[in-house]
Amino acid sequence: MNNAQQTARVGLFFLLGVALIWVTYETLSGGKLFRDQGYTLIAGFDDVKDLKKGDDVRMAGVKIGSIDLTRLDGRRAVAVLRVDSGVLIPRDATATIYMAGLLGSNYVGIGMGTAGVPPLSDGQEISTTVTPDFNTIMSELGNLGKKLDGALGSFSSAMNGDGKGNGGLIQNLDHLVTDNRDKIGATLSNLQSVSEKINNGEGTLGKLVNDPDLHDQLLAAINELKATATQANSFMANAQGIVDHVKSGQGSLGMLLYDPQSAENLRVAVQDFRDVSDKLAKGQGTLGKLISDDSLYLSAQSTMKKADRALDGMTDSGPITAVGIVANALF
Amino acid sequence: MRQIRSILEGVGSTVQLLLRALSYVATLPRQSSRFIEQCYLIGYTTLPIVGILSFFIGSVLALQAGYSMQNFGVMQFIGSLVGLSLARELGPVMVAILVTGRVGSAITAELASMKVYQEVDALITMNIPPERMLVLPRLAAVAVMMPVLTVIANIVGWFGGAMICKYTAFISLSPKAYFASMVQYTKFKDVFDGMVKAEVFGLVVVLVCCNIGLNTRGGPREIGASVTRAVVVSLILILVLDYFVTKILI
Repeated sequence: MNNAQQTARVGLFFLLGVALIWVTYETLSGGKLFRDQGYTLIAGFDDVKDLKKGDDVRMAGVKIGSIDLTRLDGRRAVAVLRVDSGVLIPRDATATIYMAGLLGSNYVGIGMGTAGVPPLSDGQEISTTVTPDFNTIMSELGNLGKKLDGALGSFSSAMNGDGKGNGGLIQNLDHLVTDNRDKIGATLSNLQSVSEKINNGEGTLGKLVNDPDLHDQLLAAINELKATATQANSFMANAQGIVDHVKSGQGSLGMLLYDPQSAENLRVAVQDFRDVSDKLAKGQGTLGKLISDDSLYLSAQSTMKKADRALDGMTDSGPITAVGIVANALF
Repeated sequence: MRQIRSILEGVGSTVQLLLRALSYVATLPRQSSRFIEQCYLIGYTTLPIVGILSFFIGSVLALQAGYSMQNFGVMQFIGSLVGLSLARELGPVMVAILVTGRVGSAITAELASMKVYQEVDALITMNIPPERMLVLPRLAAVAVMMPVLTVIANIVGWFGGAMICKYTAFISLSPKAYFASMVQYTKFKDVFDGMVKAEVFGLVVVLVCCNIGLNTRGGPREIGASVTRAVVVSLILILVLDYFVTKILI
């Protein structure tokens, strides 16, 4: 092999290697060497957790950049986010660290913010929110376990006693049963006797349970009660209708109760009636005198006596003189 | 005591050889033909064996990972495992071992022969430093070729794993899912770290082999002993340095 061929092969091999390194770089790192670097945003957190350089920055789940670096800034941790230049992030958007999986990888998620709000520019700080991480959740679960343990301990003490002479529920129940064994036995015996009687159809309850006729009668009584209730309901509905009718000022009663003119007429009528009764009581007018003055009565009595006598005379003198006799008696 | 002294002498002479060779870096453009020749020997002729070996190492890695992971239901992470393992560890170490066996042994044999047959002495007599003519082109060639060999080994190994995942019945992972998982968890930094390791291994292997070859005394039997010694020392150094370089890079 001559020298030129050897040189060509080495050159080709070297170029192939460089090309492969370039392809690997493009594939694994997105190949940002000669591309637009985008712009950076500062995100301050109390704790950047497991966030590393190169982790994703995502908006609504879409990758829009990566973490440039994480560093301490005074008493807080700061993550520098490199965002693609085509993506505009509103000033009110917030950044949050999320867990990408249980293997420890994290990413920064940025909210969409409000449409129309001016976007953040290079080097500006984005507001952040804190979410509980896996360790916090596990710590909370540990606390929950302790509380559950305490609750179960209390329950156990309540059930079994606290070991200091205070009996638990089960011990108290045991004492109760032991102390009242005879009474409980007698009560159970009575209950058995009652249940036997019921089963045998004795007594009211027994008959009710065992006698089908009684059951039918009871059912009929209930049906009647239902019918009565239906009628009562209908009656109440009618009464309600009448009341509504009256309330609406219709009919005589309604007009009387709700029509001002009718009320005024009634008031006037009552006033007139009262005036008349006052006059009657005072003996004024014809009717008042007729009621309170007995002279008319006496005169009438006298006249009736005279008429009686006249009739007697008429019986005797004949019908022709009857008119003259009556006229004389009257006048 | 004698062994410790021998080890210290070896370390010292290797460092001296490196420093003397680096002092002639300015002469490298005038030795381009030697540099190209060494690139051809170290890189081009080593490529087939690197390709075959890395393909099967990637395949076996995917097969073993699939067999182990099938009980856990995490088959989708085979791509990540093969990608990271090859890029960070197996690729550079495997290439370094192959370079030791194929190139390092040849370098030691060649230089030891030159030394035994007094060709090196003749060069010195002609005022041609052996470090300039024999060591520097090899160092430069291995420095250029190791990253290239490593990245080729990585890519061939990744594709070997993908093929096994697709055609093995109990894995049945599509290449798309395999490479998606690989891209998700394998970063270019992992590949770059692997290339740095390979570079360190390559330089150490060539330096050790050159040093042992140039320090050979005796006859043909000593040539064979030097080759064996060079390969053994290189392999040990690769694995020892692997730990420390990894520790530094992580």
